Amino acid sequence: MDALTIGTIIKILIILAIVSAIAGFGTYIERKVLAFMQRRLGPMHVGPFGLLQIAADGIKLFTKEDIIPQNANKFIFSLAPVITAATAFIAMAALPLFPTFTIPKSLPVIGGAIVPSTVADINIGILFILGTMAAGLYGPLLAGMAQSNKWGIIGSARTAVQFLSYEVVTGLSVLAPIMLVGSLSMIDFNDAQAGGITSWLIWQQPIAFVLFLIAGFAETNRTPFDLLEHEAEIVSGYLTEYSGLRWGMFFIGEYANMITISIIAAVVFCGGYNDLAFISGWFLFVLKVVFFFFLMLWARAAWPHVRPDQMMWLCWKVLMPLAVINILITGIVVML
Amino acid sequence: MAHIEEHKETHTVQKEKQNYVMLDLGKTPKFGMPAFIQVVKRSLSLELLKGLGVTFREMINALFKGKMHTTKYPFEKLPISPRYRAIHEMLRLLESGHYRCIGCGLCEKICISNCIAMETRYDENQRKEVSQYTINFGRCIFCGYCAEVCPELAIVHGGRYENASEQRAGFSLFEDMLTPIDKLKEQKEFAGFGSISPNADENIKKTPLAY
Amino acid sequence: MFEQIAFYFFSVLTIGLFLVAVFSKNVLYAMTSLASGMVVIAGFFFLVGADFLGVVQLIVYVGAVMALYAFGMMFFNVTKNLKEKTTSTGWVLIVGVTAALLMTLMFLGAINPDAIYASLPMSDKMTNPEAVGMALFTKYLVPFEVAAVMLLIAMIGGIVLAGKKMDTSLTDIKDEVLQLKDEE
Repeated sequence: MDALTIGTIIKILIILAIVSAIAGFGTYIERKVLAFMQRRLGPMHVGPFGLLQIAADGIKLFTKEDIIPQNANKFIFSLAPVITAATAFIAMAALPLFPTFTIPKSLPVIGGAIVPSTVADINIGILFILGTMAAGLYGPLLAGMAQSNKWGIIGSARTAVQFLSYEVVTGLSVLAPIMLVGSLSMIDFNDAQAGGITSWLIWQQPIAFVLFLIAGFAETNRTPFDLLEHEAEIVSGYLTEYSGLRWGMFFIGEYANMITISIIAAVVFCGGYNDLAFISGWFLFVLKVVFFFFLMLWARAAWPHVRPDQMMWLCWKVLMPLAVINILITGIVVML
Repeated sequence: MAHIEEHKETHTVQKEKQNYVMLDLGKTPKFGMPAFIQVVKRSLSLELLKGLGVTFREMINALFKGKMHTTKYPFEKLPISPRYRAIHEMLRLLESGHYRCIGCGLCEKICISNCIAMETRYDENQRKEVSQYTINFGRCIFCGYCAEVCPELAIVHGGRYENASEQRAGFSLFEDMLTPIDKLKEQKEFAGFGSISPNADENIKKTPLAY
Repeated sequence: MFEQIAFYFFSVLTIGLFLVAVFSKNVLYAMTSLASGMVVIAGFFFLVGADFLGVVQLIVYVGAVMALYAFGMMFFNVTKNLKEKTTSTGWVLIVGVTAALLMTLMFLGAINPDAIYASLPMSDKMTNPEAVGMALFTKYLVPFEVAAVMLLIAMIGGIVLAGKKMDTSLTDIKDEVLQLKDEE
């Protein structure tokens, strides 16, 4: 096998092992951050600072009884969580996580392998990521419909509505930066912003950035828009009948999607993994991704839910016209 | 114990800040230009960021300024009011160390849920001695009549509110409720039902009569 | 080698999934296999190097079938099997066979590979999206614009049909008034 193949396999392992671990760790971070913002302590007792809480939760999820309701469609019911978790990681195939690097030759076996920045540098990277993330919403949809529970049905109806609406906004908001860069590849996005902080696309496309963030919150069903599992209205939405490992897979998928959206925001709008002055690129990149991840938790602590009709109003009467106008202006500027 | 002092601190802070003001939100336009203008105004005035600011400030306060609000309950406990009626205690005479109960049976009589059972007999000095005394905590409603009627201040309510065990009877024997003889010096007099809580002055200003 | 294995794998999957979509009596199974069949078709595009079209297939059909799900949710009890009412089996048979024959005739050209040629061959100079753009905006500009106008008409029609009472919000109407309307 040549150096690149080994490197790609290493990269795949990195994504599967580390990112899924981080996705699990995200639950801990979320609980801690939310706790601090409400002046609580959060998980404290399992391990130092409650760090082993995720392990405890994992053990609990693994050993919990796996219940499938009597009237549920058993095949679809067990398929749905797999869709969410799998698509979340498939989307990461086209995500650049750090600059391409070569493993030093001194290491045995894997020495000299070139680890690429993305697993698959397909030239339509961003569309691929958005497409697979969209396919991931089949998870909640099928889960809600298969469980023969009215809360589940309402949850999946909301999934359909939310997805069909906000997919438009995500696509349109990313379209303006695509027009400026002239490519759909995540690597090209990164390279286009190599010229320091002033070349970041966020300065040229502030509206697109805000629109993308809002739509990203909706697509990962984070708090201002988490209609799918509004506890106060529909118990747990599509998750009502799930327990144990299947429930955990939905959770991992959701957090992996949050990481994906954070990475897209960092690469497309905030300079990617380019070096900035003396700070090395990958460190800065991690900082950016962590900031966007933190922003999602922060918004959850600060803002209340919206009503479904408010959300549709926001999407079709505010965000979509704004996105179209933004594209129009960008198009005129690019043409001139 | 820092958080407990802080607890009291916030009480005083709340007292000072009690001037509620109704915000004048004006009319909510529903359609047309006015509604559009309102949406634009609200979006551009960045009101959402203020919410983010508040939560972030609270996080900084909690993490770096020691304003964490959590009481780590089984390890730390907040002080309870002297009026609180939890598991009963039987007190001793401070001078002799003998239990105060004279076996008069008033508590047994007044108990409205019939949960106190006692047997007495004359001891060798022809004094009344309590041979059996139990309270059925499965029935007790913690009304406090027994403590109120006791002429000797012998049966009182203590502060032991964590009464989880395999059997409630475990709390209810006379010997269990009696102050241990080696802790006689720490025995405190029951302040009684009319007693006021330590922060009564702060609380009294919060009653609606103050307005 | 890999391409051939992948092609046959995807072919079997697609045909199997669409067969389930046609023959299944359960709405949920039918729609799920339809959706996954559409996703698998994207695999063929990736195989022949048309990445852009593959992703477009993914995005468009994922959304479209999800709308179908919404209808399924509204009209059927998705956890129960559906009893179809077929009034005239004869007609179904005749129409089905005719359609199948027509399709076969249409694709007969594929039997002779020499008869197939690309009217706008791919060039290595252009990336995938650029090639698609070039084809759409030069040779097929008129059909593209006609399709765009058709979609616009459909959209306006949808808004007009659905949006008759859009100026009053249901949440603002009092319950008594709504009940009165129900009784009428």
